[in-house]
Amino acid sequence: MSDGGDWGALMAAAQAGNGGAYRRLLAELDIWLVRYYARRLPAAVADDAAQEALIAIHAKRHTYDPARPFKPWLVAIARYKWIDRLRTMARQPETELPDTLAVSDHEQGVVGAIVLAELLASLKSAQREVIRLVKLDGLSIAEAAARTGQSESLVKVNIHRGLAKLARIVEERGDAE
Amino acid sequence: MPNEPLIDALAADLAPVRPRRTGRELLALAGIGAVELTLVLLLGGARPDIGVAMLLPSFWWKLLGLAALSAIGVVTAVRSFEPASSPRRGLLLLALAVGFVLAVGWAIDGGDAVAMPLAERLMWRHGVDCVFRMAVLSIPAIVALGLLMRRGAPTDRRASALAVGAASAAWGAFVFAFNCPSDDPLYIAFWYCLGCAVVTLIGRLALPAITRW
Repeated sequence: MSDGGDWGALMAAAQAGNGGAYRRLLAELDIWLVRYYARRLPAAVADDAAQEALIAIHAKRHTYDPARPFKPWLVAIARYKWIDRLRTMARQPETELPDTLAVSDHEQGVVGAIVLAELLASLKSAQREVIRLVKLDGLSIAEAAARTGQSESLVKVNIHRGLAKLARIVEERGDAE
Repeated sequence: MPNEPLIDALAADLAPVRPRRTGRELLALAGIGAVELTLVLLLGGARPDIGVAMLLPSFWWKLLGLAALSAIGVVTAVRSFEPASSPRRGLLLLALAVGFVLAVGWAIDGGDAVAMPLAERLMWRHGVDCVFRMAVLSIPAIVALGLLMRRGAPTDRRASALAVGAASAAWGAFVFAFNCPSDDPLYIAFWYCLGCAVVTLIGRLALPAITRW
């Protein structure tokens, strides 16, 4: 995996209009981003987030200063889009995962988004539990309500508050990659 | 690779871009500021008794204090338009600087020992007019900084917006200070703080939504 040195050179070439260098760079960044979000978001939205980050990198490519290291620039954008995605998920607590992606086995769902799962530890148990069930394991709101004994509206509120809090935590806490 | 079509689309017809440089943006802002200040002074914006006022410590306190605050704010804001740098440390420095400037003003006030009722010293009718002028004079700064923020990639938009608002507010107050006839530190501390708070709040509330990316 590149430490960002060649990526910086490729981006500098891309800024000058070199499409070939840019294509190579984006292909490598794509792999990096897919991995990055797989550890930080539910599988159902991770690929989407990677795509969005690619588009953001494209739109903001002029903000990379070739005199500086590339990796912190990339991480800052990836992290920004991660927080953005957590906020979007918080706004739509009832959006359920597509059936095909739902993982019924509890452990398996959590292992994927390992950084997210670690962060969940800092939430209250009522919030942590329903976010795990609905957002990582793919249960419906009703199923999560039955499983936890919370009412359906309480499940939604707890998902909303919990994810909003996670977004805040990530934002406050500096760059621990 | 699932994102291959997207990557192909982005790489096709790639337009060259000029990398943004913090120094260049600061220079452009300094230019805009110089033009605004020159225009205001040429159009008779300077107080008529400026020669006398220049002998008073409170005039220099006001001018230098606001210039320093606005410089700290602008540098903090522009640096934060780069994704990897956060404005939070700059904002902390700015808050400390505000406290320091106010403390110096208090010391100057104590030395002068004006014995007047508070309401008379504050001259609220005049003060409201001051706030309005300050806000108007901060418009070029907030627009220019707002455009640079939109063009940049701030990753802590709310903090960047706060820095933009505070920097523009201090700049507007700095230009206004050439015009303001008051030399009473209490009056200045009260109304300038109020005017700056209004502009800062506008920046903080309006900019995050406009500069989403």
